[in-house]
Amino acid sequence: MAENMSKDEIIRTVTELVAAEFGRPAEELTPDTDLSSVEGADSVKVLRSVARIERTFDIELEDDQVFGFKTINHVADAVAALIAERS
Amino acid sequence: MTTHPDAADGALGAPVELPWRVLPDYRCFGCSPANDQGLRLRFAHTADGGIMCAFTFDRTFESYPGVVHGGMSTTVCDEIMGNLLVLRLGVSVFTTSLRTRYVEPLTVGATYRCTATTEAAAGDTGPHQAQAEITDAEGNAVVFATGAYQPVTEEQARKRMAMSEHEARLVETALAELRTP
Repeated sequence: MAENMSKDEIIRTVTELVAAEFGRPAEELTPDTDLSSVEGADSVKVLRSVARIERTFDIELEDDQVFGFKTINHVADAVAALIAERS
Repeated sequence: MTTHPDAADGALGAPVELPWRVLPDYRCFGCSPANDQGLRLRFAHTADGGIMCAFTFDRTFESYPGVVHGGMSTTVCDEIMGNLLVLRLGVSVFTTSLRTRYVEPLTVGATYRCTATTEAAAGDTGPHQAQAEITDAEGNAVVFATGAYQPVTEEQARKRMAMSEHEARLVETALAELRTP
């Protein structure tokens, strides 16, 4: 259950989902990695990552958040906030 | 018109028989083979207990030039999620909410697949959630949707749907068969 996940676990899961969509090894990404700087990054990959994250955590991110995400940490904060909200 | 690749194709698994087939004048916009103006979607089972369909939209469903109207993708997702729940639960369901995340626009003339999954099980109380995902020929997900569906009792179905007593009994029998283990 996402409700029992620590912030580190959320970051790890988000990192794995983003890495899979970007086609990069998860080890290449850190919580502070600028998503736009990842090799091969584009808005479609970001959107697809967001969709996978929403599905994995059963959450709905707002579009104004989605298009403002800069780093994995930033995404994880939004995920954690939504999980906390429904708990 | 929309083209409808045969869902019985080996790549899509066994074809699904929907309970609505028992109605002689079944015209569902999404899945009736008799509605010439509908999508005529055909479904097949997937290995994970979901269902899938394949479809191609032509220019009838165009938005911007060469781009499929976004509402059509959502309609396909709603149709497949609703039917999956009906097949899983053996009751009719009505959509109560629907959320679509568009990743990429669909291209007119290209073939896509839509798959639906749910964790709902017979005996669960509603509303039930289901998920759908449309993928392109390369397997890239282009649309994600989540829907919530409320099951309806036989009495509610008779009130809301334009069916004769005979037709209502035919549908109830077909749905009851789905509830039989």
